[in-house]
Amino acid sequence: MAASNRAVTKTRNSHLSPEENDTSDTRVAECARLVRQAAAGDRDAMERLLMQAQEVAFRFSFLVCGHAQDAEDVMQDALLKTYRHIGRIREPEHFRTWLYKTVRNTCLMKRRRRVDEPSHLLSIEQGGPASGDGFTAVDVEDPAQGPDEAAMNTWLGERLRAALKALPPSYRMIVFLREMEGLSTREVAKVTGISEANVKTRLHRARGILREQLEDV
Amino acid sequence: MKAGDCAAILAHISAYLDGELEATECDAIERHCRECDSCASVVAGLRHTVGLCREAGSAPLPDVVRAKARESVKKLLAEKKS
Repeated sequence: MAASNRAVTKTRNSHLSPEENDTSDTRVAECARLVRQAAAGDRDAMERLLMQAQEVAFRFSFLVCGHAQDAEDVMQDALLKTYRHIGRIREPEHFRTWLYKTVRNTCLMKRRRRVDEPSHLLSIEQGGPASGDGFTAVDVEDPAQGPDEAAMNTWLGERLRAALKALPPSYRMIVFLREMEGLSTREVAKVTGISEANVKTRLHRARGILREQLEDV
Repeated sequence: MKAGDCAAILAHISAYLDGELEATECDAIERHCRECDSCASVVAGLRHTVGLCREAGSAPLPDVVRAKARESVKKLLAEKKS
């Protein structure tokens, strides 16, 4: 029995360092607690939640879409929608996936509204030649054009930013959600609308590409 | 998965890092990497890469961005209160 328990524990443990092994379940629970507090009228909880929503919006807009100049609009949209959503939320545990889906949809809509944008930039779902799954390479707008260029370069690091930018966009979104935001595979599948198996495949390939780009960092 | 098969090992490394494999499969990978420098290097490289991404993801956003966000929150809550 003891041996069986050890085997189960080993299976469930990540083979990353403890700092990298912060579980999605913990984050979901913390977020849900904050949502309940905010819904119950806790102003401090509401402020923290609204800050988190805007930070997610900024990171998504900058890192996945590469549109730093859109970030303020996406942040404002996340702020207002989160405020309204908290007042009628029924399943606080689903707040995180709701937020990421909402931000993702806002980013997509903003790109579709860009009448002067080349059509090949419209989708962040497209893959790239390195993906080996038939997608077409898609470039993104240089984030250096955004208002917080210097600060964002300092925050992210030039090499990592370049490596993320070089990823096929659909891979970039998976890396962003799974590695940088700490969502579980299931959460990523819900946000992106693809299967968990596909999330794992894309993440595996994306990690391989990033490793080659970042091995000397 | 055979412990001596590099291709099979590499195909499962992501799942291994995420703790999705059975204990016997983890043992096979670890046994293989003790004898195969190439695969051990890939595992170390992937672990490093994931670490870089997670470190960046957990870093606080620049003050200028947080200040803007905080200002928007204050403004919204003041509007809703009045």
